[in-house]
Amino acid sequence: MNRFLYLLENIDRRVIYLFVVGALLWPLLSKKPLQPAPMRSADSFFEVIESHTPKAGEIALISIDWGPSTIAENGSQTKVLIEHLFRKNIPFAVISITPYAAPFLESLPKEIAATLTDFPREYGKHWVNLGYQPNPTISIQGIAKSENLIQTLKTDASGTPLSEIPVMQGVRTLENIPLFVQVTGLVGTFNTWLQFLQRGEFRPIFLHGCTSITIPEAHIYLASGQIKGLYEGLAGAAAYEWLMSERFPGRAVGDALIQNTSLAIAQLLIITLIIIGNAGRLLRMITGRSQ
Amino acid sequence: MIEALTAQWSVEWWGVALAGFSTLAIFSFLLGENPVFRLFEHLYIGISAAIGIMITVQTFFWPKLLKPLLGLDIIILADGTPSAPYQSAQLLYLFPMAFGSLYYFILSPRRAWLAQLVIGFSLGVAGGFAFKAVFNEFLPQLYDSFRPLYIPGSPGASVSNLIFIVTLLSSMTYFFLTIKQPPGGALSRVALSGRWLMMGCFGSFFGATIMARMALLVERLQFLVITWWGQMSALW
Repeated sequence: MNRFLYLLENIDRRVIYLFVVGALLWPLLSKKPLQPAPMRSADSFFEVIESHTPKAGEIALISIDWGPSTIAENGSQTKVLIEHLFRKNIPFAVISITPYAAPFLESLPKEIAATLTDFPREYGKHWVNLGYQPNPTISIQGIAKSENLIQTLKTDASGTPLSEIPVMQGVRTLENIPLFVQVTGLVGTFNTWLQFLQRGEFRPIFLHGCTSITIPEAHIYLASGQIKGLYEGLAGAAAYEWLMSERFPGRAVGDALIQNTSLAIAQLLIITLIIIGNAGRLLRMITGRSQ
Repeated sequence: MIEALTAQWSVEWWGVALAGFSTLAIFSFLLGENPVFRLFEHLYIGISAAIGIMITVQTFFWPKLLKPLLGLDIIILADGTPSAPYQSAQLLYLFPMAFGSLYYFILSPRRAWLAQLVIGFSLGVAGGFAFKAVFNEFLPQLYDSFRPLYIPGSPGASVSNLIFIVTLLSSMTYFFLTIKQPPGGALSRVALSGRWLMMGCFGSFFGATIMARMALLVERLQFLVITWWGQMSALW
Protein backbone atom coordinates (compact mmCIF):
# COMPACT_ATOMS: atom_id res chain seq x y z
CA MET A 1 0.00 0.00 0.00
CA ASN A 2 2.76 2.41 1.02
CA ARG A 3 4.68 1.65 -2.17
CA PHE A 4 1.57 2.40 -4.28
CA LEU A 5 1.03 5.69 -2.46
CA TYR A 6 4.70 6.55 -2.92
CA LEU A 7 4.34 5.91 -6.66
CA LEU A 8 1.30 8.19 -6.81
CA GLU A 9 3.37 10.99 -5.33
CA ASN A 10 6.40 10.38 -7.51
CA ILE A 11 5.13 9.79 -11.03
CA ASP A 12 8.02 10.29 -13.49
CA ARG A 13 7.69 13.70 -15.19
CA ARG A 14 8.17 12.09 -18.64
CA VAL A 15 5.10 9.93 -18.01
CA ILE A 16 3.15 13.10 -17.17
CA TYR A 17 4.41 14.73 -20.41
CA LEU A 18 3.18 11.72 -22.38
CA PHE A 19 -0.23 11.83 -20.71
CA VAL A 20 -0.54 15.58 -21.41
CA VAL A 21 0.51 15.17 -25.05
CA GLY A 22 -2.01 12.32 -25.41
CA ALA A 23 -4.79 14.43 -23.88
CA LEU A 24 -3.97 17.33 -26.19
CA LEU A 25 -3.71 15.17 -29.30
CA TRP A 26 -6.93 13.23 -28.88
CA PRO A 27 -9.35 16.06 -29.87
CA LEU A 28 -6.94 17.28 -32.57
CA LEU A 29 -7.00 13.89 -34.27
CA SER A 30 -10.65 13.00 -33.61
CA LYS A 31 -11.72 16.52 -34.76
CA LYS A 32 -14.73 16.54 -32.46
CA PRO A 33 -14.99 19.92 -30.74
CA LEU A 34 -16.94 20.45 -27.54
CA GLN A 35 -19.16 23.49 -27.10
CA PRO A 36 -17.14 26.16 -25.26
CA ALA A 37 -18.46 27.65 -22.05
CA PRO A 38 -20.26 30.96 -22.73
CA MET A 39 -18.17 34.01 -21.76
CA ARG A 40 -19.78 37.33 -20.96
CA SER A 41 -16.65 39.22 -22.02
CA ALA A 42 -16.61 37.52 -25.45
CA ASP A 43 -20.38 38.12 -25.79
CA SER A 44 -19.90 41.85 -25.27
CA PHE A 45 -16.96 41.89 -27.73
CA PHE A 46 -19.18 40.18 -30.32
CA GLU A 47 -22.09 42.54 -29.64
CA VAL A 48 -19.93 45.65 -30.11
CA ILE A 49 -18.76 44.46 -33.55
CA GLU A 50 -22.23 43.21 -34.44
CA SER A 51 -23.92 46.53 -33.64
CA HIS A 52 -21.15 48.70 -35.12
CA THR A 53 -22.28 50.57 -38.23
CA PRO A 54 -19.54 52.86 -39.52
CA LYS A 55 -20.45 56.05 -41.38
CA ALA A 56 -18.91 56.82 -44.76
CA GLY A 57 -15.23 57.67 -44.36
CA GLU A 58 -14.88 55.83 -41.04
CA ILE A 59 -12.71 52.79 -40.41
CA ALA A 60 -11.88 50.49 -37.51
CA LEU A 61 -8.26 50.30 -36.38
CA ILE A 62 -6.92 46.84 -35.51
CA SER A 63 -3.59 46.68 -33.73
CA ILE A 64 -2.03 43.23 -34.12
CA ASP A 65 0.68 43.35 -31.47
CA TRP A 66 1.73 39.74 -31.29
CA GLY A 67 4.33 37.52 -32.88
CA PRO A 68 4.98 33.81 -33.39
CA SER A 69 5.38 33.22 -29.64
CA THR A 70 1.68 33.84 -28.90
CA ILE A 71 0.17 32.81 -32.24
CA ALA A 72 -1.65 29.92 -30.52
CA GLU A 73 -4.04 32.27 -28.73
CA ASN A 74 -3.74 35.63 -30.50
CA GLY A 75 -3.73 34.06 -33.97
CA SER A 76 -7.14 32.42 -33.51
CA GLN A 77 -8.53 35.60 -31.93
CA THR A 78 -7.35 37.83 -34.78
CA LYS A 79 -8.58 35.48 -37.50
CA VAL A 80 -12.14 35.30 -36.19
CA LEU A 81 -12.18 39.07 -35.55
CA ILE A 82 -11.09 39.86 -39.13
CA GLU A 83 -13.68 37.42 -40.48
CA HIS A 84 -16.39 39.19 -38.47
CA LEU A 85 -15.29 42.61 -39.77
CA PHE A 86 -15.33 41.31 -43.35
CA ARG A 87 -18.77 39.73 -42.91
CA LYS A 88 -20.16 42.92 -41.33
CA ASN A 89 -18.57 44.99 -44.11
CA ILE A 90 -16.67 47.15 -41.63
CA PRO A 91 -13.64 48.71 -43.37
CA PHE A 92 -10.49 48.50 -41.29
CA ALA A 93 -6.78 49.23 -41.06
CA VAL A 94 -4.27 46.86 -39.48
CA ILE A 95 -1.28 48.31 -37.67
CA SER A 96 1.32 47.14 -35.14
CA ILE A 97 3.76 48.49 -32.59
CA THR A 98 5.56 45.10 -32.47
CA PRO A 99 8.03 44.28 -35.29
CA TYR A 100 7.36 40.53 -35.10
CA ALA A 101 3.74 41.14 -36.15
CA ALA A 102 4.69 42.64 -39.53
CA PRO A 103 4.35 39.38 -41.55
CA PHE A 104 0.94 38.66 -39.98
CA LEU A 105 -0.39 42.14 -40.83
CA GLU A 106 0.17 41.19 -44.45
CA SER A 107 -0.86 37.53 -44.45
CA LEU A 108 -3.85 37.20 -42.08
CA PRO A 109 -6.42 39.50 -43.79
CA LYS A 110 -5.45 38.02 -47.19
CA GLU A 111 -5.82 34.49 -45.83
CA ILE A 112 -9.29 35.23 -44.39
CA ALA A 113 -10.42 37.14 -47.50
CA ALA A 114 -9.47 34.12 -49.64
CA THR A 115 -11.81 31.87 -47.63
CA LEU A 116 -14.82 34.21 -48.01
CA THR A 117 -15.66 33.34 -51.58
CA ASP A 118 -19.34 34.45 -51.29
CA PHE A 119 -18.44 38.11 -50.94
CA PRO A 120 -14.96 38.96 -52.20
CA ARG A 121 -12.90 41.33 -50.11
CA GLU A 122 -10.20 43.39 -51.74
CA TYR A 123 -7.04 45.02 -50.38
CA GLY A 124 -7.27 48.80 -50.49
CA LYS A 125 -11.04 48.76 -50.85
CA HIS A 126 -11.99 46.89 -47.68
CA TRP A 127 -8.80 47.00 -45.64
CA VAL A 128 -5.35 48.57 -45.53
CA ASN A 129 -2.10 47.52 -43.92
CA LEU A 130 -0.48 50.48 -42.13
CA GLY A 131 2.49 48.33 -41.13
CA TYR A 132 4.78 48.34 -38.14
CA GLN A 133 5.17 51.69 -36.36
CA PRO A 134 8.32 52.02 -34.25
CA ASN A 135 8.43 53.96 -30.98
CA PRO A 136 4.88 53.20 -29.78
CA THR A 137 4.36 56.28 -27.61
CA ILE A 138 5.35 58.75 -30.34
CA SER A 139 3.52 56.85 -33.09
CA ILE A 140 0.25 56.59 -31.15
CA GLN A 141 0.42 60.26 -30.13
CA GLY A 142 1.05 61.10 -33.79
CA ILE A 143 -2.12 59.26 -34.82
CA ALA A 144 -4.15 60.77 -31.97
CA LYS A 145 -3.10 64.37 -32.62
CA SER A 146 -2.94 64.27 -36.42
CA GLU A 147 -5.12 66.68 -38.41
CA ASN A 148 -4.49 64.62 -41.55
CA LEU A 149 -3.74 60.93 -40.99
CA ILE A 150 -2.91 60.38 -44.66
CA GLN A 151 -0.09 62.90 -44.37
CA THR A 152 1.04 61.65 -40.97
CA LEU A 153 1.23 57.96 -41.91
CA LYS A 154 2.22 58.67 -45.55
CA THR A 155 2.23 55.14 -47.02
CA ASP A 156 0.92 51.65 -46.39
CA ALA A 157 3.31 48.80 -45.47
CA SER A 158 4.28 48.19 -49.11
CA GLY A 159 5.03 51.87 -49.81
CA THR A 160 1.81 52.82 -51.68
CA PRO A 161 0.78 56.38 -50.78
CA LEU A 162 -2.30 56.32 -48.54
CA SER A 163 -3.86 59.04 -50.74
CA GLU A 164 -4.18 56.37 -53.47
CA ILE A 165 -5.89 53.80 -51.20
CA PRO A 166 -9.73 54.00 -51.41
CA VAL A 167 -10.48 52.81 -47.85
CA MET A 168 -8.44 55.71 -46.43
CA GLN A 169 -10.34 58.37 -48.33
CA GLY A 170 -12.36 60.34 -45.82
CA VAL A 171 -10.17 59.31 -42.87
CA ARG A 172 -8.74 62.58 -41.61
CA THR A 173 -8.45 62.44 -37.82
CA LEU A 174 -8.85 59.97 -34.97
CA GLU A 175 -12.53 60.93 -34.89
CA ASN A 176 -12.93 58.95 -38.13
CA ILE A 177 -11.81 55.83 -36.22
CA PRO A 178 -14.70 55.09 -33.83
CA LEU A 179 -13.60 51.51 -33.10
CA PHE A 180 -10.20 50.29 -31.93
CA VAL A 181 -9.25 46.66 -31.28
CA GLN A 182 -5.92 45.52 -29.93
CA VAL A 183 -4.82 41.88 -29.78
CA THR A 184 -1.63 41.11 -27.89
CA GLY A 185 0.23 38.71 -25.67
CA LEU A 186 2.67 41.35 -24.45
CA VAL A 187 2.31 43.18 -21.18
CA GLY A 188 2.60 46.94 -21.60
CA THR A 189 1.45 47.29 -25.19
CA PHE A 190 -2.29 47.57 -24.51
CA ASN A 191 -1.89 50.30 -21.90
CA THR A 192 0.27 52.33 -24.30
CA TRP A 193 -2.68 52.46 -26.71
CA LEU A 194 -5.08 53.17 -23.85
CA GLN A 195 -2.93 55.98 -22.49
CA PHE A 196 -2.37 57.88 -25.72
CA LEU A 197 -5.08 57.05 -28.27
CA GLN A 198 -7.30 59.97 -27.34
CA ARG A 199 -8.03 63.27 -29.11
CA GLY A 200 -9.43 65.88 -26.74
CA GLU A 201 -12.55 64.33 -25.29
CA PHE A 202 -12.82 61.78 -28.09
CA ARG A 203 -11.73 58.21 -27.50
CA PRO A 204 -12.67 55.28 -29.77
CA ILE A 205 -14.52 52.26 -28.35
CA PHE A 206 -11.76 49.96 -27.10
CA LEU A 207 -11.84 46.17 -27.45
CA HIS A 208 -9.00 43.93 -26.35
CA GLY A 209 -7.78 40.40 -27.00
CA CYS A 210 -5.21 38.98 -24.58
CA THR A 211 -3.46 35.71 -23.85
CA SER A 212 -4.48 33.64 -20.83
CA ILE A 213 -1.54 34.95 -18.79
CA THR A 214 -2.80 38.53 -18.87
CA ILE A 215 -6.51 37.77 -18.29
CA PRO A 216 -6.53 38.84 -14.60
CA GLU A 217 -4.86 42.13 -15.57
CA ALA A 218 -7.19 42.74 -18.53
CA HIS A 219 -10.25 42.32 -16.30
CA ILE A 220 -9.29 45.54 -14.49
CA TYR A 221 -9.87 47.46 -17.74
CA LEU A 222 -13.10 45.59 -18.43
CA ALA A 223 -14.49 46.23 -14.95
CA SER A 224 -13.66 49.95 -15.12
CA GLY A 225 -15.34 50.26 -18.52
CA GLN A 226 -12.12 51.25 -20.30
CA ILE A 227 -12.69 48.35 -22.69
CA LYS A 228 -16.11 47.24 -23.85
CA GLY A 229 -15.27 43.64 -24.67
CA LEU A 230 -12.51 41.13 -24.08
CA TYR A 231 -11.18 38.00 -25.74
CA GLU A 232 -9.84 35.81 -22.94
CA GLY A 233 -7.12 33.65 -24.48
CA LEU A 234 -7.95 30.62 -26.55
CA ALA A 235 -11.19 30.04 -24.62
CA GLY A 236 -12.33 33.54 -25.63
CA ALA A 237 -11.54 32.84 -29.28
CA ALA A 238 -13.49 29.55 -29.09
CA ALA A 239 -16.50 31.27 -27.51
CA TYR A 240 -16.36 33.88 -30.29
CA GLU A 241 -16.11 31.14 -32.95
CA TRP A 242 -19.26 29.61 -31.49
CA LEU A 243 -21.11 32.93 -31.59
CA MET A 244 -19.97 33.46 -35.19
CA SER A 245 -21.23 30.02 -36.24
CA GLU A 246 -24.61 30.76 -34.66
CA ARG A 247 -24.81 34.16 -36.37
CA PHE A 248 -23.49 32.98 -39.75
CA PRO A 249 -24.57 29.34 -40.17
CA GLY A 250 -22.60 27.35 -42.73
CA ARG A 251 -19.32 29.20 -42.22
CA ALA A 252 -16.12 27.13 -42.04
CA VAL A 253 -15.22 26.69 -38.37
CA GLY A 254 -11.67 27.74 -37.43
CA ASP A 255 -9.09 25.96 -35.27
CA ALA A 256 -10.01 27.65 -31.98
CA LEU A 257 -12.85 25.23 -31.09
CA ILE A 258 -10.73 22.10 -31.54
CA GLN A 259 -7.74 23.65 -29.76
CA ASN A 260 -9.98 24.74 -26.88
CA THR A 261 -11.32 21.18 -26.56
CA SER A 262 -7.72 19.90 -26.33
CA LEU A 263 -7.01 22.52 -23.71
CA ALA A 264 -10.06 21.55 -21.64
CA ILE A 265 -9.15 17.84 -21.65
CA ALA A 266 -5.51 18.55 -20.76
CA GLN A 267 -6.62 20.79 -17.90
CA LEU A 268 -8.91 18.06 -16.58
CA LEU A 269 -5.94 15.71 -16.69
CA ILE A 270 -3.74 18.18 -14.80
CA ILE A 271 -6.43 18.67 -12.14
CA THR A 272 -6.74 14.87 -11.83
CA LEU A 273 -2.96 14.51 -11.47
CA ILE A 274 -2.87 17.23 -8.80
CA ILE A 275 -5.65 15.42 -6.89
CA ILE A 276 -3.87 12.04 -7.25
CA GLY A 277 -0.53 13.47 -6.08
CA ASN A 278 -2.08 15.19 -3.08
CA ALA A 279 -4.30 12.20 -2.23
CA GLY A 280 -1.20 10.00 -2.22
CA ARG A 281 0.55 12.35 0.20
CA LEU A 282 -2.51 12.68 2.41
CA LEU A 283 -3.07 8.90 2.59
CA ARG A 284 0.58 8.31 3.40
CA MET A 285 0.39 10.88 6.20
CA ILE A 286 -2.76 9.17 7.57
CA THR A 287 -1.30 5.64 7.31
CA GLY A 288 2.00 6.86 8.79
CA ARG A 289 0.17 8.30 11.79
CA SER A 290 -1.94 5.17 12.35
CA GLN A 291 1.22 3.03 12.30
CA MET B 1 13.42 10.20 -51.28
CA ILE B 2 15.91 12.51 -53.08
CA GLU B 3 13.49 12.73 -56.04
CA ALA B 4 10.65 13.62 -53.67
CA LEU B 5 12.77 16.32 -52.04
CA THR B 6 13.72 17.95 -55.34
CA ALA B 7 10.16 17.61 -56.68
CA GLN B 8 8.85 19.47 -53.64
CA TRP B 9 11.52 22.16 -53.93
CA SER B 10 9.54 25.20 -52.80
CA VAL B 11 10.16 27.80 -50.12
CA GLU B 12 6.89 26.84 -48.34
CA TRP B 13 7.85 23.14 -48.27
CA TRP B 14 11.26 23.85 -46.79
CA GLY B 15 9.75 26.39 -44.40
CA VAL B 16 7.39 23.78 -42.93
CA ALA B 17 10.15 21.12 -42.82
CA LEU B 18 12.59 23.44 -41.03
CA ALA B 19 9.91 24.71 -38.61
CA GLY B 20 9.10 21.11 -37.62
CA PHE B 21 12.75 20.20 -37.03
CA SER B 22 13.30 23.42 -35.05
CA THR B 23 10.27 22.69 -32.85
CA LEU B 24 11.51 19.15 -32.16
CA ALA B 25 14.99 20.49 -31.37
CA ILE B 26 13.56 22.90 -28.79
CA PHE B 27 11.28 20.17 -27.37
CA SER B 28 14.36 17.95 -26.93
CA PHE B 29 15.01 19.92 -23.74
CA LEU B 30 12.23 17.86 -22.13
CA LEU B 31 14.61 14.90 -22.23
CA GLY B 32 17.38 16.97 -20.67
CA GLU B 33 20.02 19.56 -21.57
CA ASN B 34 21.65 18.74 -24.94
CA PRO B 35 23.76 20.44 -27.67
CA VAL B 36 20.95 20.36 -30.29
CA PHE B 37 18.68 22.36 -27.97
CA ARG B 38 21.50 24.83 -27.24
CA LEU B 39 22.21 25.34 -30.96
CA PHE B 40 18.57 26.04 -31.83
CA GLU B 41 18.13 28.25 -28.76
CA HIS B 42 21.02 30.46 -29.91
CA LEU B 43 19.68 30.49 -33.47
CA TYR B 44 16.29 31.61 -32.14
CA ILE B 45 17.78 34.47 -30.11
CA GLY B 46 19.89 35.64 -33.06
CA ILE B 47 17.03 35.47 -35.55
CA SER B 48 14.64 37.31 -33.17
CA ALA B 49 17.11 40.17 -32.75
CA ALA B 50 17.81 40.36 -36.49
CA ILE B 51 14.10 40.38 -37.43
CA GLY B 52 13.44 43.34 -35.11
CA ILE B 53 16.22 45.39 -36.72
CA MET B 54 15.42 44.37 -40.30
CA ILE B 55 11.70 45.11 -40.04
CA THR B 56 12.40 48.54 -38.53
CA VAL B 57 14.80 49.35 -41.38
CA GLN B 58 12.63 47.78 -44.09
CA THR B 59 9.21 49.16 -43.11
CA PHE B 60 10.10 52.45 -41.45
CA PHE B 61 13.64 53.74 -41.59
CA TRP B 62 14.16 53.30 -45.34
CA PRO B 63 10.70 53.98 -46.91
CA LYS B 64 9.46 56.66 -44.52
CA LEU B 65 12.67 58.46 -43.55
CA LEU B 66 15.72 57.91 -45.75
CA LYS B 67 13.97 57.46 -49.11
CA PRO B 68 12.05 60.78 -48.99
CA LEU B 69 15.06 62.52 -47.45
CA LEU B 70 17.29 61.46 -50.32
CA GLY B 71 14.53 62.22 -52.84
CA LEU B 72 14.47 58.59 -54.00
CA ASP B 73 10.67 58.46 -53.85
CA ILE B 74 10.46 60.97 -56.69
CA ILE B 75 10.03 59.26 -60.05
CA ILE B 76 11.29 60.92 -63.24
CA LEU B 77 8.44 60.81 -65.75
CA ALA B 78 8.80 60.00 -69.47
CA ASP B 79 8.96 63.70 -70.36
CA GLY B 80 11.91 64.15 -67.95
CA THR B 81 9.96 66.01 -65.27
CA PRO B 82 9.89 64.77 -61.63
CA SER B 83 6.64 63.22 -60.33
CA ALA B 84 6.67 65.62 -57.35
CA PRO B 85 8.90 68.47 -56.19
CA TYR B 86 11.48 67.67 -53.51
CA GLN B 87 10.18 68.71 -50.09
CA SER B 88 13.13 70.58 -48.61
CA ALA B 89 11.34 70.78 -45.22
CA GLN B 90 12.26 67.11 -44.83
CA LEU B 91 15.86 68.18 -44.27
CA LEU B 92 14.70 69.25 -40.80
CA TYR B 93 14.69 65.53 -39.93
CA LEU B 94 18.49 65.75 -39.92
CA PHE B 95 18.53 67.81 -36.71
CA PRO B 96 16.79 65.25 -34.44
CA MET B 97 18.73 62.48 -36.21
CA ALA B 98 22.03 64.22 -35.44
CA PHE B 99 20.96 64.92 -31.85
CA GLY B 100 19.86 61.30 -31.33
CA SER B 101 23.14 60.03 -32.79
CA LEU B 102 24.98 61.75 -29.93
CA TYR B 103 23.88 58.74 -27.86
CA TYR B 104 26.70 56.73 -29.45
CA PHE B 105 29.23 58.91 -27.60
CA ILE B 106 28.38 56.73 -24.61
CA LEU B 107 31.12 54.49 -26.01
CA SER B 108 33.72 57.27 -25.65
CA PRO B 109 34.96 57.82 -22.07
CA ARG B 110 36.00 61.44 -22.85
CA ARG B 111 32.84 62.54 -24.73
CA ALA B 112 30.27 60.52 -22.77
CA TRP B 113 28.70 63.77 -21.52
CA LEU B 114 27.27 64.27 -25.04
CA ALA B 115 25.29 61.03 -24.65
CA GLN B 116 23.96 62.32 -21.34
CA LEU B 117 22.27 65.20 -23.19
CA VAL B 118 20.23 62.67 -25.20
CA ILE B 119 19.52 60.55 -22.12
CA GLY B 120 18.37 63.64 -20.18
CA PHE B 121 16.12 64.72 -23.04
CA SER B 122 14.63 61.21 -23.30
CA LEU B 123 14.00 61.08 -19.55
CA GLY B 124 12.22 64.44 -19.67
CA VAL B 125 9.99 63.33 -22.55
CA ALA B 126 9.28 59.98 -20.88
CA GLY B 127 8.42 61.74 -17.62
CA GLY B 128 5.93 64.00 -19.41
CA PHE B 129 4.35 61.01 -21.15
CA ALA B 130 4.16 59.09 -17.89
CA PHE B 131 2.25 61.96 -16.31
CA LYS B 132 -0.33 61.88 -19.09
CA ALA B 133 -0.40 58.07 -19.02
CA VAL B 134 -1.25 57.94 -15.32
CA PHE B 135 -4.23 60.23 -15.82
CA ASN B 136 -5.57 58.38 -18.85
CA GLU B 137 -5.03 54.87 -17.53
CA PHE B 138 -5.47 54.95 -13.78
CA LEU B 139 -8.00 57.70 -13.11
CA PRO B 140 -10.91 55.76 -14.70
CA GLN B 141 -9.90 52.78 -12.52
CA LEU B 142 -9.82 55.00 -9.46
CA TYR B 143 -13.32 56.33 -10.23
CA ASP B 144 -14.47 52.73 -10.71
CA SER B 145 -13.30 51.81 -7.22
CA PHE B 146 -15.99 54.09 -5.71
CA ARG B 147 -18.75 51.52 -5.87
CA PRO B 148 -22.08 51.48 -4.02
CA LEU B 149 -22.27 48.73 -1.39
CA TYR B 150 -26.00 48.37 -1.77
CA ILE B 151 -27.75 48.26 -5.14
CA PRO B 152 -31.54 48.01 -4.71
CA GLY B 153 -33.01 44.95 -6.44
CA SER B 154 -29.64 43.43 -7.27
CA PRO B 155 -28.23 41.41 -4.36
CA GLY B 156 -25.62 39.72 -6.58
CA ALA B 157 -24.12 43.04 -7.68
CA SER B 158 -24.18 44.29 -4.07
CA VAL B 159 -22.24 41.24 -2.84
CA SER B 160 -19.81 41.57 -5.75
CA ASN B 161 -19.16 45.23 -4.90
CA LEU B 162 -18.73 44.38 -1.22
CA ILE B 163 -16.09 41.73 -2.05
CA PHE B 164 -14.38 44.23 -4.34
CA ILE B 165 -14.20 46.95 -1.67
CA VAL B 166 -13.03 44.55 1.08
CA THR B 167 -10.30 43.15 -1.24
CA LEU B 168 -9.20 46.63 -2.30
CA LEU B 169 -8.96 48.03 1.23
CA SER B 170 -7.33 44.99 2.82
CA SER B 171 -4.76 44.68 -0.01
CA MET B 172 -3.92 48.37 0.34
CA THR B 173 -3.59 47.96 4.10
CA TYR B 174 -0.96 45.25 3.53
CA PHE B 175 1.21 47.86 1.81
CA PHE B 176 0.95 50.46 4.60
CA LEU B 177 4.54 49.83 5.52
CA THR B 178 5.05 53.17 7.29
CA ILE B 179 2.48 52.43 10.00
CA LYS B 180 3.34 49.99 12.75
CA GLN B 181 1.07 46.97 12.62
CA PRO B 182 1.30 45.24 16.05
CA PRO B 183 0.81 41.46 15.75
CA GLY B 184 -2.75 40.44 16.64
CA GLY B 185 -4.03 44.01 16.21
CA ALA B 186 -6.94 44.96 13.96
CA LEU B 187 -4.69 46.54 11.34
CA SER B 188 -2.43 43.50 11.07
CA ARG B 189 -5.47 41.18 10.78
CA VAL B 190 -6.82 43.28 7.90
CA ALA B 191 -3.36 43.28 6.30
CA LEU B 192 -3.16 39.50 6.71
CA SER B 193 -6.52 39.03 5.01
CA GLY B 194 -5.24 41.31 2.22
CA ARG B 195 -2.22 39.05 1.88
CA TRP B 196 -4.41 35.97 1.57
CA LEU B 197 -6.63 37.65 -1.00
CA MET B 198 -3.53 38.56 -3.01
CA MET B 199 -2.42 34.93 -2.77
CA GLY B 200 -5.74 34.00 -4.41
CA CYS B 201 -4.99 36.50 -7.16
CA PHE B 202 -1.49 35.07 -7.70
CA GLY B 203 -3.06 31.61 -7.86
CA SER B 204 -5.36 32.75 -10.65
CA PHE B 205 -2.32 34.26 -12.45
CA PHE B 206 -0.51 30.93 -12.11
CA GLY B 207 -3.53 28.97 -13.41
CA ALA B 208 -3.84 31.38 -16.34
CA THR B 209 -0.13 30.93 -17.09
CA ILE B 210 -0.52 27.15 -17.26
CA MET B 211 -3.49 27.61 -19.60
CA ALA B 212 -1.43 29.90 -21.88
CA ARG B 213 1.52 27.50 -21.99
CA MET B 214 -0.82 24.62 -22.75
CA ALA B 215 -2.38 26.63 -25.59
CA LEU B 216 1.11 27.10 -27.08
CA LEU B 217 1.67 23.35 -26.88
CA VAL B 218 -1.68 22.62 -28.58
CA GLU B 219 -0.75 24.86 -31.52
CA ARG B 220 2.70 23.28 -31.87
CA LEU B 221 1.31 19.75 -31.64
CA GLN B 222 -1.31 20.58 -34.25
CA PHE B 223 1.44 21.89 -36.51
CA LEU B 224 3.73 18.90 -35.89
CA VAL B 225 1.13 16.16 -36.21
CA ILE B 226 -1.08 17.54 -38.95
CA THR B 227 0.97 20.00 -41.06
CA TRP B 228 4.55 18.83 -40.61
CA TRP B 229 4.05 15.09 -40.34
CA GLY B 230 1.45 15.22 -43.14
CA GLN B 231 4.12 16.74 -45.38
CA MET B 232 7.07 14.65 -44.24
CA SER B 233 5.23 11.32 -44.38
CA ALA B 234 4.59 11.92 -48.09
CA LEU B 235 8.33 11.39 -48.63
CA TRP B 236 8.05 7.71 -47.79
